[in-house]
Amino acid sequence: MVVVMHQGATDEQIQKVIDRLTSLGFDVHRSTGAATTVLGAVGVRADFDIREFELLDGVREVVRITQPYKLAARAFRSEGTIIKLGKNVSIGGPEVIVAAGPCSVESPEQINAVAASVARSGAKILRGGAFKPRSSPYTFQGMGEKALRLLRDAADKHGLLVVSEVMDASQIPMMLPMVDVLQVGARNMQNYYLLRALGEVNKPVLLKRGMSATIEELLLSAEYIMSSGNHDVILCERGIRTFETYTRNTLDIAAIPIIKKLSHLPIVADPSHGTGLRDKVAPMARAAVAAGADGLLIEVHNDPEHALSDGAQSLYPDQFSQLMAELRIIAPAVGRRVA
Amino acid sequence: MKSIDDWRRRIDEIDRQLVELLNERSQCAAEIGHRKLQANLPLYQPEREKEVLANAERNNRGPLPDTAIRRLFERILDEARSVERHAMTPDNSQKKE
Repeated sequence: MVVVMHQGATDEQIQKVIDRLTSLGFDVHRSTGAATTVLGAVGVRADFDIREFELLDGVREVVRITQPYKLAARAFRSEGTIIKLGKNVSIGGPEVIVAAGPCSVESPEQINAVAASVARSGAKILRGGAFKPRSSPYTFQGMGEKALRLLRDAADKHGLLVVSEVMDASQIPMMLPMVDVLQVGARNMQNYYLLRALGEVNKPVLLKRGMSATIEELLLSAEYIMSSGNHDVILCERGIRTFETYTRNTLDIAAIPIIKKLSHLPIVADPSHGTGLRDKVAPMARAAVAAGADGLLIEVHNDPEHALSDGAQSLYPDQFSQLMAELRIIAPAVGRRVA
Repeated sequence: MKSIDDWRRRIDEIDRQLVELLNERSQCAAEIGHRKLQANLPLYQPEREKEVLANAERNNRGPLPDTAIRRLFERILDEARSVERHAMTPDNSQKKE
């Protein structure tokens, strides 16, 4: 941590800061400039709150240098983490893994039709919501447990893995045999009770970035899961709230290379929720792969016009197939491949 | 006329003495650390640090400006505090005795 004092800060004010730093266990490097004194503090503890120093008299600025997360930090495993999801599917390695499927599971016919087409196009994972956290309580809330069974059957039939969202810790035991990856939705990213519960299971977790969460907050949420024992965490950029209203959210593509640098965990992008508009999904999916994403989460529906949720952001099966063909050209340019 | 090599040899000799003196100084700091621990005194004593800096400036006859001497001694004080902290950690203190 670096504490920059105001120009003209008094000796007493500077001494007070050094005194506090010293008593907390820091080694202090004092550097007196012509006008400004800078105090470098080494030996920072992870649980440290810099605001305490921002409030001391004479302090202009406090800069934290160490990261508040440890297990999720790149330094913890500098070569990067590869997570085995199924027999022949791993994420974080050279292959870009695509999960595709409808927003919600609606019927056996629907999920089977989608599973067949996305498997043919090269997707490795079938996505589909069973419990839907919708903004309005009056909209379709998902088919629940029944949907999980439909998802599992459709995926098994077409050689796919399953990812589905867990809304509450009480659902975990029932979901474990049905899914290969447990998804934490954006709205639950800071549900620390749920995150701790997921830290105790032996199943990969796909953690979505909250719509108003910073990258650091996302990594701290991953830290919750990891510090409870489960190190198989996949991060997901799914768009954040900005002042722009044209798209549903603003997909933060820059978060991908930033997270790659800060963390060893795989990072995937969800351009469907990231834009909310069908015709913007493919361009952003291409951008995400070019930016280094380890995977994609894409909504595909066999009949988007009649979808019970998020039809406007779901691709038609042939659009998805076209996108996969484009990704097969883009991926090798950045040292990756797509099935 | 003395060559660059001659001057560098002179600097090497001065550095050797500096390192020796700095270590001697840090041994004094460690002793003080032990005594501060026994007397239950705080590690950081700003009045004493002020005195050390004032002494250094008073002894300064140039050509280094007082501000340069102050900056150099601030670093020496930083390291002395670190040595004293180490000496004041009960475990380390016991090992010494």
